[in-house]
Amino acid sequence: MSEFKTYHPIVNFVYFVFVIGFSCFFMHPVSLCISLVSGFTYSVMLKGKKTIKNNLIYMLPMLVVMALINPAFNHEGVTIIEYLPSGNPLTLESIVYGICAATMIVSVICHFSCYNEVMTSDKFIYLFGKIIPAMSLIISMTLRFVPKFSAQLKVVTNAQRCMGRDVSNGSMIKRAKNGLNILSIMTTWSLENAIETADSMKSRGYGIPGRTAFSIFTFDKRDKKALVCILLLGIYTLVGNLMGETAFSFFPSIQAAKVSPFGISVFLAYLLLCICPVIIELWEVRKWKALRSKN
Amino acid sequence: MRKHKNKVIAGVVIAILLAFVFWYGGDAPRLRGWPPQSKETATVVQNDEPTKEEIAEAEKAISDISIKKENAPATEENKPQKQDGAPMTPAEKIAMAQKIAESTQSATKIKPSNEEYSEEQGMVINEGTGKGQYRTGPVPDGKPLPIEPENIVITDKESTCTLSIRCDTILNNIAWLDREKVDIVPKDGVVFAEKTVTFYEGESVFNLLMREMKRNKIHLEFENTPIYNSAYIEGIANLYEFECGELSGWMYKVNDWFPNYGCSRYQLKAGDKIEWVYTCDLGHDVGGQYSARNGK
Repeated sequence: MSEFKTYHPIVNFVYFVFVIGFSCFFMHPVSLCISLVSGFTYSVMLKGKKTIKNNLIYMLPMLVVMALINPAFNHEGVTIIEYLPSGNPLTLESIVYGICAATMIVSVICHFSCYNEVMTSDKFIYLFGKIIPAMSLIISMTLRFVPKFSAQLKVVTNAQRCMGRDVSNGSMIKRAKNGLNILSIMTTWSLENAIETADSMKSRGYGIPGRTAFSIFTFDKRDKKALVCILLLGIYTLVGNLMGETAFSFFPSIQAAKVSPFGISVFLAYLLLCICPVIIELWEVRKWKALRSKN
Repeated sequence: MRKHKNKVIAGVVIAILLAFVFWYGGDAPRLRGWPPQSKETATVVQNDEPTKEEIAEAEKAISDISIKKENAPATEENKPQKQDGAPMTPAEKIAMAQKIAESTQSATKIKPSNEEYSEEQGMVINEGTGKGQYRTGPVPDGKPLPIEPENIVITDKESTCTLSIRCDTILNNIAWLDREKVDIVPKDGVVFAEKTVTFYEGESVFNLLMREMKRNKIHLEFENTPIYNSAYIEGIANLYEFECGELSGWMYKVNDWFPNYGCSRYQLKAGDKIEWVYTCDLGHDVGGQYSARNGK
C-alpha cells in the first residue's frame, strides 16, 4: 500500500507543501474536517492498522486538553456562557476556537507523519541536493536524527545490559549512574556520527556540479498527470481561499462566509487534493485486480 | 572591490530597510512618517507639553470656578461682573468665557504630581526612583492615594457614583480598527451610558466595573498584574487593547483625572464620576497624556 511513494519526489513534495500549508492556515470547520479525515486515513493506509490505536491514544487526549486550555486563557467573544472563578467570562467562541485549533494541530501532525513515511531523505536530497546542498543535507540529517538516535539507543542499551550495566537493575543511584553513562555514550556517538556523515558526503563530492543522486527517479507520464492534477487542485483551492470563500472568523462572534456554489467547489477541490494519494492507492488496487483476473 | 561587492550590497539594503522602518514608525496613527489624517489628533499633540505658566493659570482658573460654584445658583446678582461691579460688555464676556474654557481644558489634561503632598498623605516614596510602592509615582494635589485591595475590608454600606464607558476615539480612527470588530462598535461610541450606580464602601473602581459589566451582560476581560498590584483591563465589550492601532487601549478617569495607578487601587467615594474611555493614541486623544507620558 505505497503507490504514491513510488511517484517522482517532486509530486510527493508538491502534494505535501499544499496539504500541510493549507492545513496550517484554513480555519473553516469544513476544511479542518477534510484535513483531519484525510490525514488520518492516509496515515493508517501507509502505516497499517496499529496506527489507529496510536493515533487515538496520543491525539484524542491532546485534542481534549488543547480544547480545554484555550477558554482558560482566552475570554474573547460575544456569547458569555458563564463566569470563571477568576471573574473573567467563559465564552462560546473561545471554546469553539479551542476545539478548532486542536483539530488543526492534530491533523497537521497526521500529515507530517505521512510526510516522514513518503519523503525519505534520499528523495529530499534528490530534489534539493543541487540547489541548496548544505541546507538540504542539514535538513535531511535533522529529520533522520530522531529515528536513528532511538535505533542506536536500543543497540547501546542492549550492549550495556550484557555487561550488567543497565538501567533495569541495581540500586537507585547505580541505575541513575548507568543511565547517565548511556546518555553520555549516545551524545558522543551522535556528534561523531554527524561529523562522519558530513565528511563522508564531502569525500564523495557532494554538492559538486554534475554529481548524480543515489536514487534514480524518472519523471514519466504518470507523474506528469498526478503533478498537473495536484497543482490545479492546489491553485484552485488557494484562489478560492484568497477570494474569501473559505473565510471563517471566531471573534468577536462566529461568522462564516456565505455558502455559494463556488465555495462548495473550493471545498470539493480541497477534499480531492487531500485524498489524492488515497485515490491513487485505490486505483492501483483496482488495476492490479483487473490485471490478475485476466490471466 | 569585487570581492566585497556582496557585503556592500547587503549593507546598503540593511540601511535602506532601517530608514524605511524608521519612517514607517509603527502600526498606529501618530507613529507614521506622514502626517495623521484627522486634524483633532494633530492639535492635541501640539498641546502635549504645557508650560509652567499655563499650569499656574489653569490652577488659578480652577479655584476661580470653584468659588463661583459656591455662589450658585445663578441669579441676577452674581452674573459675571467686573471688579468695580459694572456689567460686562459682550466682548469682555466672550473673552472671559474663552479664558475659562481654555484653562479648564488644560487643567483636566495636566496637573503636576506633588511629591510633598503625597508624602504628607502617607505615601512612602523611594528616593532613588522617585516612586512609591508598586511603581506608583506621587499623586497630584488633592487626589487620593492608591489603596492596596488586599488590605481593604468592603463594608455593606451602600453609596452611589456614576459610571460611563465610551469609545468615541474608535469612531475617528475606524480605518485602524480590526476588520472583524467594526460591526460591534456602538454607532454613537457609547458602550455604557452614564448612569448612577450603587457601590459598597471600600470598593475600588475595578470592583464596580466588574459588577456592573456582569449585571448588564457586557463583556469584560482583565488580567491581574502583581507588579502594579492591580487588575489591568484588556477589553470591554470585545473591544480589546491594540485593536485600533498599537497605541490603543482602555483608560479610566475619576472626576476628570486619569489616576496614575491601576483601577483596583482607586477607592470609590460617594459621588465620584467614573469614566472609562478607549484611546487610540496612548491617552493623547482623550486628554490623558499626562499619565501616559509618565508611563503609569
